[in-house]
Amino acid sequence: MQTFFSLGLVRGLIGQIVGTALGIALVTLLRAVMGKEPVWSPEPAVSFGALVGVAGFMIGVGAVTDWVKWMKGEETPFHHGPPEGKPAWTRYFGTDYSHKVIGIQYGVTSIVVIIIAGILALIFRTELAQPGIQFLDPHGFNTVMSTHGIAMIAGILLGVAAMMNYLVPLMIGASDMAFPRLNAFAFWINVPGLLLVIASLFTGGWDTGWTAYPPLSTRAPLGMLLVLLGVYVIGLSSILGALNILVTVFTMRAPGMTLFRMPIFVWASVATSIIALTATQLIGLSFIMVVAERVFKMYFFTPILSEGAKELGSPPGNAILFQHLFWFYSHPAVYVFVLPGLGIISELLPVFARKPLFGYKWVAMSSLGIALVGFLVWGHHMFTAGMEEHLRVPMMYSTLLVAVPTGVKFFSWVATLWEGKLTFPTPMLFILGAISVFLIGGLSGPPNGTVSTDLFLHDTYWIVGHFHATMFGGFVFPFFAAIYYWFPKVTGRMYNEKLGKLHFWLMTPGFWLQSLAQMQVGLKGMRRRIADYDPGLGITTGQILITIAGFIIAFSILIMVYNLIVSLRRGEVAAPNPWNSLSPEWQIPSPVPEVSYAQPFVVVDEPYAYGRPGATYIRFAPAGASDHKPTKSPSQEV
Amino acid sequence: MSTITGTLEAYQKQWRINRLGLWLFFISETFLFGGLFVARLYLWGDTRPPLDQKLGITITLILLISSYFMYRADTAIAYGDQKGLMNNLLVTFVLGLIFLIGVVGFEWRGEVRPSDGAFGAVLYGMTGMHAFHVFTGLIFIAIVWLNARKGLYTKERHWGVEACAIYWHFVDMVWAFYYPALYLLGTVPHG
Amino acid sequence: MRHILTAAVLVVIVTVIVAFILINANLLPTVASQEGMIIDNLLTLHLLVIAFLFALIVVFMTYSIVVFRRKPGEEGDGKYIHGNTKLEIVWTLLPLATVLYFASLGASSLYEITKPLDNELKIGVVGFQWAWRFDYYGPDGKVAFSSNELYLPKDRPVRLDITSTDVIHSFWVPEFRVKQDAVPGQRHPLRITPTQLGEFKVRCAEICGRGHAVMYATARVLEPSEFQSWYEQQLASSQEEGGDIVAMGAKVAQKYGCIGCHSTDGSPMAGPTWKGLFGKEETLADGRTITVDEEYIRRSILDPGADIVKGFANIMPNTYKDQISDEELEALIAYIKSLK
Repeated sequence: MQTFFSLGLVRGLIGQIVGTALGIALVTLLRAVMGKEPVWSPEPAVSFGALVGVAGFMIGVGAVTDWVKWMKGEETPFHHGPPEGKPAWTRYFGTDYSHKVIGIQYGVTSIVVIIIAGILALIFRTELAQPGIQFLDPHGFNTVMSTHGIAMIAGILLGVAAMMNYLVPLMIGASDMAFPRLNAFAFWINVPGLLLVIASLFTGGWDTGWTAYPPLSTRAPLGMLLVLLGVYVIGLSSILGALNILVTVFTMRAPGMTLFRMPIFVWASVATSIIALTATQLIGLSFIMVVAERVFKMYFFTPILSEGAKELGSPPGNAILFQHLFWFYSHPAVYVFVLPGLGIISELLPVFARKPLFGYKWVAMSSLGIALVGFLVWGHHMFTAGMEEHLRVPMMYSTLLVAVPTGVKFFSWVATLWEGKLTFPTPMLFILGAISVFLIGGLSGPPNGTVSTDLFLHDTYWIVGHFHATMFGGFVFPFFAAIYYWFPKVTGRMYNEKLGKLHFWLMTPGFWLQSLAQMQVGLKGMRRRIADYDPGLGITTGQILITIAGFIIAFSILIMVYNLIVSLRRGEVAAPNPWNSLSPEWQIPSPVPEVSYAQPFVVVDEPYAYGRPGATYIRFAPAGASDHKPTKSPSQEV
Repeated sequence: MSTITGTLEAYQKQWRINRLGLWLFFISETFLFGGLFVARLYLWGDTRPPLDQKLGITITLILLISSYFMYRADTAIAYGDQKGLMNNLLVTFVLGLIFLIGVVGFEWRGEVRPSDGAFGAVLYGMTGMHAFHVFTGLIFIAIVWLNARKGLYTKERHWGVEACAIYWHFVDMVWAFYYPALYLLGTVPHG
Repeated sequence: MRHILTAAVLVVIVTVIVAFILINANLLPTVASQEGMIIDNLLTLHLLVIAFLFALIVVFMTYSIVVFRRKPGEEGDGKYIHGNTKLEIVWTLLPLATVLYFASLGASSLYEITKPLDNELKIGVVGFQWAWRFDYYGPDGKVAFSSNELYLPKDRPVRLDITSTDVIHSFWVPEFRVKQDAVPGQRHPLRITPTQLGEFKVRCAEICGRGHAVMYATARVLEPSEFQSWYEQQLASSQEEGGDIVAMGAKVAQKYGCIGCHSTDGSPMAGPTWKGLFGKEETLADGRTITVDEEYIRRSILDPGADIVKGFANIMPNTYKDQISDEELEALIAYIKSLK
């Protein structure tokens, strides 16, 4: 029991509850003192309560303890190693500064959130399998569908952070991230944020889809407010995590690791982090503006003019502005989701093809190219929105340009396979599955990017099919590949190959079916985000297929979870380098020791020199011979 | 903003890393403030609400002058001058506080209310977001001042002071864009 | 080299097969507008390129998987090939040229779809939670009458000026292909030239709350002469003064879009039909039974969530109490009473 209450997570939850209550009480008290009517006003009270609750969680979990000490001018030791006098597992449930612990925290949270979001999807897909309202009323449907969307996005962001946190420092030979405390803070702030999103289900729900377009979102029930604030908090995590990755990569690489000798996944992480660092601010801003409209009646987006506004001659609010701000992040955001995944594909293909990555520099630059072009394409979500007419054509040109660097990636992958010596363990299968699924997603893109065809396709299930294929091909499949591939490195044990292959052979055809059926019903006229559909469209078979495919995918993921849990305890002990990889993290024992590289290494060659006899990427410096010690001076990091 | 342990070399290496982190943070923040700036251009176009011009120029000058004292504070500690650091921080703090009172206490008591269409929304959105950053800057200055009193900063080791100073300059720079956007661009309609 | 040639031949074969399937799979609903035909042509071109690129990647990938797999007992690595700059340049420039070409096609077709035409019929479209209203203009250029069904003449260009009174909606008829969001406080044009007679469904394509899925309206394309006589008849009846309270109630039902969800002929829609409603016994969702009287109808308009009839969802907006006048309310009740 004492252990239970010493867990950071438990203390954090208590902190959040206390904080929320305090915040709500404070606002209500202030209103009473100031004589405002009515004294109980849910919107301001709950929004302030939610924010104080998040702060309460962070204090409770201990993520700000060291910073508070610094503010008081006190010294803090640099935490390393498991907490003393406590079982080792407890460190995963509290604030810990090791990037490996934080990476696993991110990864497990990601899988949990993705499973929750997946269950939500199954609920509304079951409802949609037949025309008519079966068991979910339209508002319930909208709530479940919207929460599915935002929870998946949160889950994907967590998964991306998991891969970057665990792998980037290992791949570049850094002892940890540049700012370990910021790293822990960035992870933990997700938890209260996610709790706010989940709480929305029980506070009236919300019905806008994840895009939260006003004016609908300014009229939606209280749950909407919690989602807006929760997403804001999760976005904050994304910004801080990206900042940390960028600084780590720019300042802490091993000697000899020039930019063009970095593992390709690190390049992808840099490209992703550039987007996350900057663009994320705008989804935060746009959501905060909606909150301001709800709480303070600041009409940014709704054309309501008060008497005073008319006297001043004020222009009205404009709903299109929200979409500009929102998509300026939310389009690049999909590159945040997929670039690391594409990086994983490029990272693993050479290992299993036993060949160098074809056109390394081109692949690296294509990630950067996608990231940069991605800033100029947001308008393609607004072709039918009533956006400024003159923006349509330029946005179409920039959007279609994204196809060029994406094409470079595809061609380079295929050329990497060509004349290789291919083997097909589970990670490789998922990589190939990822390419095939991402291909469906990629090829279905240009028709949406072209304005005139998009006037037809926009807001249909074709779009749903398109982006689920890009998300699965660009994130889910590579993420699963990464989980299987690095499982022995993280745990020191091997996963069960048979179950892994079963997972793949269920999920891949399942997903193809789901995706193609979604596109087919979309072309027939099925709209997005509808609680019920018109059987007159002739899409009932398609709807049933989508639902069945959804259940197959869900079942296959259950197999994976089972496989991972069982293998963690009873899996065969893994060899240090089962894949015969040249990457530095495979040259040290598994699981990775507390201090990853007891001996620092020097990069002596290109990263993927497979096929050249005697190839090596790194060489360990003899102990004491290098001045690049993994020691850190304590307490000066942020 | 922390105590002094470890070798000077290690401290300065970490200083460089921290500095990069802080500048990346500013790039990120620029997008936040930039978004509000764009909202102003988008919603107001070539109009603007009637605001007290004298108040505007006064608080702007006060904030700009405060940056000068912040610069002196940073320079003082670079020469190891503890007293100069603390005095200049104090002046900066007072000027920043006057700015904040000017915004919240006077500008926000003008004829524009938050619920007055796009005028109210953008005016309170931009000044509110900026005032929040000034407020956090004041807290930052207060913490640095308290730590300076304990003698925690030296000529070689004063990352905390530098961070506080650049943050303050950044917030100041934001206002250098916001002031003309709110007070000078466009004309007041006669509604 | 032999490998490349074999794969190239396979690419051609697979391209043809996939293209054949995509073109002949009857993927789209019937097209019923000039603009729709332009879009379908471009979409077909897209599908052909998709077929080729799909074949290109899938064939080379599958070929590698089959041919370049590690045979049992085989040792060693693959070929040490770093890359090929010329190849990279080719597969950067070729896609670049293709997308630029498609973007130019997109731009020119967009111009075709959106350019103003002579003899355009102007109709105002108003979306609101959760129905549509269509405003027809009189000879004086002012709104003469409104309808909850969209009547269109065949082969005449129509310009719809689309707006909303509450949240964002989107006007879409799949058979016409094009869509346009309805944004509160703004009017955005959409041009349609219907080419087929018949009934189509207007569907809201932007999520707008509880009733989004059933936010339908009927679009009827008529022969120009038929349309003209319908138009003139409506115009004439709108100019009649006063009329009795029941006729006024019918107009109120149109104005607020009531008949978007409530039929007047007994056919099932999103809300209970009004035919024979007055005096009927209704079972409510919570099990109570009530007899429909004036008081019940009034309450159901002003506070729709209060008594939900069994089998129906609580999707009616509760905003009418702020919009409808007492006079209109009485007229509407009289109208509902008249529907025996």
